[in-house]
Amino acid sequence: MMILTQQLSKTYNDHSVVDDLTLEVQRGEIFGLLGPNAAGKSTTIRMLAGIVRPESGSVYIDGKDLRKSTDLVKKQIGYLSQHFGLYAELSVLENIRFYADIYGIDDEPRLIYLLKKYGLSTFSDTRSEKLSGGYQRRLALACALVHDPKLLFLDEPTAGIDPVTRKRIWDIFYDLRSEGKTLFVTTHYMEEAERCSVIAFMNHGKIIAQGAPNAIQNSLSDHNVYALRSSFDQQMLKVLDQHKDIVLLNQLGHVLRIMTKFSLQEDQLRSLIQPYIDGEVILQRTEANLEEVFIALTQEKEI
Amino acid sequence: MSAIKAIFKKELLQLKRDPRLIGFIVFMPILLLILFGYALKLEPEDVKMAYLDEDSSYFTNLIKTNIWMEGYFELYEVDSKAEIIEEIRSGRAKAGLYIAKDFSKRLSENDQPHLQFYVDGTMPSLTTAMKNKSSSITDDTVTGNMYFLDADSKNVVIAKEPFIMDTEVLFNPDEIETWFFLPGIVGVLIMQVALILAGISVVREKESNTLEQLIVTPMSKSQFVIGKTLPYIIISLFEFIFILFLGWAVFELPVPPASYGYLLLLALDYVGAMIAMGLFISMISQTQQQAMFMAVFIMIPSILLSGLIFPIEAMPHFIQPVSYLLPFTYFVEIIRGLLIKGTLIADLAVDYLALFGYMTLFTVLSIWRFKKYLN
Repeated sequence: MMILTQQLSKTYNDHSVVDDLTLEVQRGEIFGLLGPNAAGKSTTIRMLAGIVRPESGSVYIDGKDLRKSTDLVKKQIGYLSQHFGLYAELSVLENIRFYADIYGIDDEPRLIYLLKKYGLSTFSDTRSEKLSGGYQRRLALACALVHDPKLLFLDEPTAGIDPVTRKRIWDIFYDLRSEGKTLFVTTHYMEEAERCSVIAFMNHGKIIAQGAPNAIQNSLSDHNVYALRSSFDQQMLKVLDQHKDIVLLNQLGHVLRIMTKFSLQEDQLRSLIQPYIDGEVILQRTEANLEEVFIALTQEKEI
Repeated sequence: MSAIKAIFKKELLQLKRDPRLIGFIVFMPILLLILFGYALKLEPEDVKMAYLDEDSSYFTNLIKTNIWMEGYFELYEVDSKAEIIEEIRSGRAKAGLYIAKDFSKRLSENDQPHLQFYVDGTMPSLTTAMKNKSSSITDDTVTGNMYFLDADSKNVVIAKEPFIMDTEVLFNPDEIETWFFLPGIVGVLIMQVALILAGISVVREKESNTLEQLIVTPMSKSQFVIGKTLPYIIISLFEFIFILFLGWAVFELPVPPASYGYLLLLALDYVGAMIAMGLFISMISQTQQQAMFMAVFIMIPSILLSGLIFPIEAMPHFIQPVSYLLPFTYFVEIIRGLLIKGTLIADLAVDYLALFGYMTLFTVLSIWRFKKYLN
């Protein structure tokens, strides 16, 4: 096991940010921590990386207690923050050399190799502030890998970038996993969840579901999802929105996806919709996607 | 060791590439020099005066009472003539008065006895004020009682001064203003480099979010602090030596070879105190601007209230404790003592200790604050 946490908690100003968190991450996994903004993802990853001290509970990295063998653990982990942690005035090579020196690594060929691997060779004398966002991210990743860590923490590594670059970044992640590294990733993009080997949903500081992406997708037992393909008006949306057994209305193009509780039968839903539709009601049962599962789970906890 | 070296190298690189900071180090001193050139002069009061009255007669008491009534000097007695000078050298007194044994006798013989008045010359503005105020020693209320009728003349009072006052300016007899300012300027420049550079050093890492990245590495807190401060300590020490050299070469500021060791001790003591203060500012600031403001908030009163420009004796009483809260005040005291007066090291020990105290205090506070930040 690469990461094990026990009853991890953290509060800021009497506000519980992470509450009694217990997590297990296996060696060689890409573990995705998902959740809305302010769910406690960043605080969790920062506690695991040893930046923030937990109020209670413990963290074991590769079997070692983070608090007791801090130095040993720190040599084995890498961390890519949302802000990259680069020195703007320093060149690409100077940045990576700085981090190598901090870790006491005197291996110039490795630095050259990393820069080449991440397509930074031609910029080695460019100041990091002059690089585009995508290349800054690559440099930050190269810096985080300078000491060849077993475990890599990535806080929102794909926030605000285009789908093409995002795919490239994920290719790099798969490549790192094939080298035997474990990756711990936070994100609020649901579509990224499917790329992870294991995901955990987090909301209000608690893990509300955990497992392989398709297992979670199929875990929803007391909800149904329907796709409505007829044309409808705003009045209908208002009525459905106020219904107590309708959990979610999700418009995707011309299709309206409706998530209901089991208590609402399909023919009941049909008769609810009928008055607002000219002609036939085209309604089909369908599979919930991850986003819908997540929303359903979140609401369950709140009720 | 490698981590300290890494931080050290990186700090220097960042400094080299930040034109703002280099401009700051070069142009601010020029600005300050102009500022000091137009410095105001104020009226001091309660200036300590050491006296020895070997005559102790009606006439000499009349002189002392008149000085006392004027309310400008505060008199206290010492045991020997040499001690008067020693009191001024140590800074306990700013002026001295010596009246020889035969004063009344010679006065009665109409022999114009001499009266010795000493003034500390290290602060020319204060020296001038003291010389002006000393006129109370010879004014009419005193001398009016000392005219004697000449036995040979029937009706005319002899228009001859009953006694003569000799004024001697000690330690900076030419009252050179540069000598007064220059030693202090050394401290102002060090304060700038140390306080501002150390002041933004940590907060800059907070702002660029690199501090978080550094915390993930196995580097220890002490390695971080040493690597951070060492470049600024070295720069400050070089600046200290450079400005002192410039003062000596251009303005003929006396730098007695005997003081080299003590100057080095002062440099270490003072630079240490300033860097520690800067570090603390950096630890408690959230942005570089905040750190700058705080540094300026300390620098302005330091320049104005430390005795660098205006004598502390000339300040209102409620302000004076503030002066003694500022580390810079002790620096000014020491460097003037060493370079101009040749004050005995024993008399400066308290000032050295004060600076050392500030260094320790702010180092401890910085470490405490750093630990708190990390949690």
